[in-house]
Amino acid sequence: MKNLPMYLIVLVAAVATMIPRFIPFYLSFLNKVPPFVKKCMSLLPVAAIGALIFPFTILDFLPVWYAGLLGVIAAFVSNFIKQSMLLSIVISVLVTYIALLV
Amino acid sequence: MKKDEGDFNFSEGFQDGLPILLGYFSTAIAFGIICRNIGIPFFETCLYSLTNFAGAGQFLAVNLFTSGALLFEYFIGINLINLRYLFMGVALRTNLSKDVKGIRKIIVAFGVTDEIFTVASMKNSNCLSFNYMAGLISSSYLGWNLGTAVGFMMGMILPKALQMAVGVTLYAMFSSLLSCEFKSKGPKVIVIAGLSAAINSFLILVLSFPSGWSFVVSMVTTAVIGALFMKEEK
Repeated sequence: MKNLPMYLIVLVAAVATMIPRFIPFYLSFLNKVPPFVKKCMSLLPVAAIGALIFPFTILDFLPVWYAGLLGVIAAFVSNFIKQSMLLSIVISVLVTYIALLV
Repeated sequence: MKKDEGDFNFSEGFQDGLPILLGYFSTAIAFGIICRNIGIPFFETCLYSLTNFAGAGQFLAVNLFTSGALLFEYFIGINLINLRYLFMGVALRTNLSKDVKGIRKIIVAFGVTDEIFTVASMKNSNCLSFNYMAGLISSSYLGWNLGTAVGFMMGMILPKALQMAVGVTLYAMFSSLLSCEFKSKGPKVIVIAGLSAAINSFLILVLSFPSGWSFVVSMVTTAVIGALFMKEEK
């Protein structure tokens, strides 16, 4: 099991992580894409957010399934009222903490 | 700091990265603890976070390590789980100022993560300066590596409820970003995010997809559906 030196694994992992990160920055044909693909790309960030939040904001806090959900809702509302991300996060952590304790 | 080309400067980037710093710090603590528990030395643990700077990919590799995987299995597995960076990089690149080249390009490419990509995209600029990106990456990188080292040294977990509550940080950050987008662009933002959330939940909960794959499929499918059905665009 430990026959591979750890630094070698670290190195291989680093290379494997960097390949998908670097390709789009060095292959310039990816820059001249048709309008439809451009449109798709402009929607990627918001599409990413949805999948980054769900389902793990529920699963991470099991068995109290609603703890993370309440935190996420609190952050959304708080940021909607007063646009301060740090404040929203502090409120969100508090809400989640209370939900986990109750 | 010299005046840079493009929108936003280093300190704005660093500040925008502070929520990520918090979130990464708490996630990386868990990574440090796991590495210590399965017997990876301190130096290698830190080297890992310094050279990879990738949340899910790192947890996966540690998993493979305990199951005695072969080198090419690491290589394939990690590539797959990080496939999403490919799409993110393509999208992010079009938002960067022209001064991002040479060593600067290497730094930005190195720093592409889910969170950094999302925050940078939400600035709604198509000319983000290198200094902004460098600031954003610096605070995030700091959080990730400090967290790894602290987690390894602590070697134990905070009170359970508190540890879990801090875990909401990144979700809260995404939620706040979504709220900003909703304010400026209206309900279609919620429709898109809701759709990808639904697809991702379905793939993971019902079809038991691995989360790396599921994330890529949900993100790309949603973007394509959105582009097909949404009329105007900005």
